[in-house]
Amino acid sequence: MTKTISRRDFIKLGAASAGALAVGQMLPPRIAKAALQSGYINAEGNGVIPTTCEMCVWRCGVLAKVENGRVVKLDGNPAHPHSKGKLCPRGQSGLMNTYDPNRVLTPLVRVGKRGEGLFREASWDEALDIVASNMTRIKEKYGPEAMIFSSTHNLSQPLFENLLYGYGSPNYGTQRSLCFNSMITAFLLTYGIEEPSRHYENVEYIIMVGRNMMEAISTSETSELSHAIDRGAKLVYLDPRFTKTAAKADEWIPIRPGTDSAFLLAMIHVIVTEELTDCDFVRKYMTGCDDIVDVMSEYTPEWAESKTGVPATTIDRIAREYAAVKHNALIHPGWRTSNFINSFQTERAIATLNALSGNVLKPNGCLVAQNPEASGVPLGKPPQPPYPRISALRLDGVPWKYPLVPLKLGVFQELRDAIITGDPYQAHGWFISRQNPVMSIPDRDKTLEAFGKMDFIVTVDIIPNDTAWFSDVILPEASYLERYDPVIAVEGKIFLRQPVIEPLGEAKSALWIYKQLGERLGLGDYFQYEDEEDYIRYQLAPLGLSFEELKKEGYLVPDIEPPSDEIVFNTPSGKIEVYSETLANSGFSPWPTWDEPPQPTKGKFYLLTGKVAQSTQFGTQNNLLLHKYSNEPRLWLNKKVAETEGLKDGDWVEVSSEVGKVNVQLLVTEGIRPDCVYMTPGNGHISKGLTTAYGFGANESVLHVTYTDPISGSQALTQTFVSVKKIADAPAQTKKPLYSGE
Amino acid sequence: MTEHKYGFLIDASRCIDCRACLVACSVQNDVPMEHTRIWINETGVVGEFPDLKRYSAPFHCMHCIDPSCVSACTVGALQQNEEGIVVYDNERCIGCRYCMYACPFEVPNFEWDKQLSLIVKCDLCVSRLEEGGEPACAATCPTDAIQFGSREDMLNLAHARIEAEPDRYIDHVYGEHENGGTSTFYISPVPFEELGFPAAQGEESPAHFNRLVTHGTPTVAAGVAIGMTGIYLAIERQGKDNKIAEEEAHHDEEE
Repeated sequence: MTKTISRRDFIKLGAASAGALAVGQMLPPRIAKAALQSGYINAEGNGVIPTTCEMCVWRCGVLAKVENGRVVKLDGNPAHPHSKGKLCPRGQSGLMNTYDPNRVLTPLVRVGKRGEGLFREASWDEALDIVASNMTRIKEKYGPEAMIFSSTHNLSQPLFENLLYGYGSPNYGTQRSLCFNSMITAFLLTYGIEEPSRHYENVEYIIMVGRNMMEAISTSETSELSHAIDRGAKLVYLDPRFTKTAAKADEWIPIRPGTDSAFLLAMIHVIVTEELTDCDFVRKYMTGCDDIVDVMSEYTPEWAESKTGVPATTIDRIAREYAAVKHNALIHPGWRTSNFINSFQTERAIATLNALSGNVLKPNGCLVAQNPEASGVPLGKPPQPPYPRISALRLDGVPWKYPLVPLKLGVFQELRDAIITGDPYQAHGWFISRQNPVMSIPDRDKTLEAFGKMDFIVTVDIIPNDTAWFSDVILPEASYLERYDPVIAVEGKIFLRQPVIEPLGEAKSALWIYKQLGERLGLGDYFQYEDEEDYIRYQLAPLGLSFEELKKEGYLVPDIEPPSDEIVFNTPSGKIEVYSETLANSGFSPWPTWDEPPQPTKGKFYLLTGKVAQSTQFGTQNNLLLHKYSNEPRLWLNKKVAETEGLKDGDWVEVSSEVGKVNVQLLVTEGIRPDCVYMTPGNGHISKGLTTAYGFGANESVLHVTYTDPISGSQALTQTFVSVKKIADAPAQTKKPLYSGE
Repeated sequence: MTEHKYGFLIDASRCIDCRACLVACSVQNDVPMEHTRIWINETGVVGEFPDLKRYSAPFHCMHCIDPSCVSACTVGALQQNEEGIVVYDNERCIGCRYCMYACPFEVPNFEWDKQLSLIVKCDLCVSRLEEGGEPACAATCPTDAIQFGSREDMLNLAHARIEAEPDRYIDHVYGEHENGGTSTFYISPVPFEELGFPAAQGEESPAHFNRLVTHGTPTVAAGVAIGMTGIYLAIERQGKDNKIAEEEAHHDEEE
């Protein structure tokens, strides 16, 4: 028996804690003008204001309680389909991002060497002039393609794209290739949509392939899965590690890393060979019906056993159980699945199995070929001219090396080789917004080397994250509780992010920053709005909705035709393309297929990455409340292996891959396969500006080797193999551990 | 007359150990960073690969029917209000820590690091209840592992759930009878000692022993010294002195 966080741990904590501050002792308040004018808070600055969370990309609805102009509590908005009154630990901690003692509150301009962390404060005018003059210089001297722009999946993205494409650069870096490129590309090719919706109301049988829903929390979906389990739905969970989702599964299958597609292909084999599916339905809606039995004939459960280590009888039984519940079955598309170079094939197999169960066509079926965020709500926008024609090649190789990767996804990790070699041309500047590529892209040394090639780097963020630390200018953004963003439609409703307090210091919204920069760059026509509210009025105009009403409720239901129940597959054939001509024409297998992944040599381990419920990527580790309640970062190692190797729980080890090494403390557990190690994600920050996160734990990206899937552009994050060696003592710079436990 | 109006039902089979409740409590109650009113009790990963299990449940003040801490508090800082909530008044607290030793569930935290140390414990988010809401921990729980309602409803629900799924739960509602009964009920797939829950000292509240000593002791600071000696004797009878020594030794090490 262990206690993860016991009272005694807290008693022990004392001086080791990050600081004795409580939330209420943070920076002085400024009452939100808009909320005051609208009457949601009174003159004393007290009230409750609905807005939208930004602690991850799920975007839950939040009710922010404000007292004396200070946010004192966030609760889930019961009306919002993504929160339904609940928030996860990150959502609960959100006000601590705003009140982070390390907030950047004025524009900063570097005065020391890059990475030294010496900056001076500057006015917005001066900082924007510096950024604009550098961007203009680069454009005039090298062409607009010499600037790289990167930002990911946020509500201000359309304006970021205006800056990027208006400026004329093709070089767009998103984080998606480090996350869900394989899922999106596979579903685009198979169903014609980026990401299918999942519904749990009627689900009886759920297979999750490394989708650690209980730790990588999407609040409403985590709730729905949990409730489905409570009412008796069966969860089969494939993961080499005993995660908190595995602990809730009826059946945990500790499959060999990189072999999920073998498991799934064998399921397809059983279902089509035994005709366990509704053939009329499949024939009507799916391509490849005539050949699928032959094509899948080699993928027997016995064959899959030799690849996955899962008994053939288990695979056969699960295929039959899955098929038996028909459209009430669901195989979750996941985000990153197993992160091997064959993850695209895993996703194709998932798309195929969902099609075979017939669940994709039912209205409210368990998996619907309909993007949850594209709900048919026609939002407006200010007028803008067409973008200039861009003829330069993209440095990440899309589409000239990666023909099937969508332009808006890109292949982020491939940018660096082009920057370092100058081939096909030399990049000179990098504009980064709300991203931390220094920490997140595999092979950190390579990322820093690429940074070294840049004449100019500017980062927009709310804290001095590791990327900002290596930048020349830092532009302080207002936090999500301090600003407007463009509105978003979710499940037919319009949701608003609005300021619940005035921005701290000089922080400004992305809508304001991009417009100011655009005007200085001669791109003012792409930013034809007066301010944030004006932009949103343009968005609402076609719907005839009242902005004041939206501000009050946080959401509005526009009066539009409900989408028809008829599902149209936006593929070349108009069907579910299990057999894909597009893939064939690009020289790839037209069928979901097996692609043998590499295995670690003797003495090495698969390095697994994952998620913990108390952090999002590399962006939240400096949040004191999440730090308070997170486990100490560790390296998980199987207990029997540890015994054989003479290693003990708490020992310090050096973990090394072919590109880097880090020191971490061991966690010896039964909860992982003997051939794997797992490192707590998101730690090892190198910005000394992050006083909580700096030097705490180690960064897995130091170890990750860059492997890119030629089809989807996805980074194979688990395809890194490491050795583990005991070191004498704790490294001197390491902070005192807070908590232990799996 | 105390009503024992409210109750929690906490289901270890539903808890995913996400700690949203912990963060929510810290924010709601402005708890300093090095303290907590609520923590996770868990089994850890148990068994042998690949036959494993793990369960967890958040743990905070049980809000006893007859709270031992209240009976041990010689200055009236801890009181049970009319709705049965065990509330704490930091203005009255003198930091004697007798509530810590008196609590059979090992709940009250102590601010060891402060000159004027106070106790840290759950007060059921009284301010949220006054506004018609639920305690912050229950309100945010993504899996409804923590539910809040009338004590009677929660107890009935606990038994109903065990009855409906006897294979899912052991047949024990922790908190129903432990130490005289509480307002917080737990149900679990595994015995509560595996989750790290304190074993009950009996079905009667230890408050009884404390009152034998404190009865007639004036609830003013002047009377504290006498009261403390007496209470210590009472508590020692409960066989908890080893634990206290251990914690104090640990505290000394830290210094």
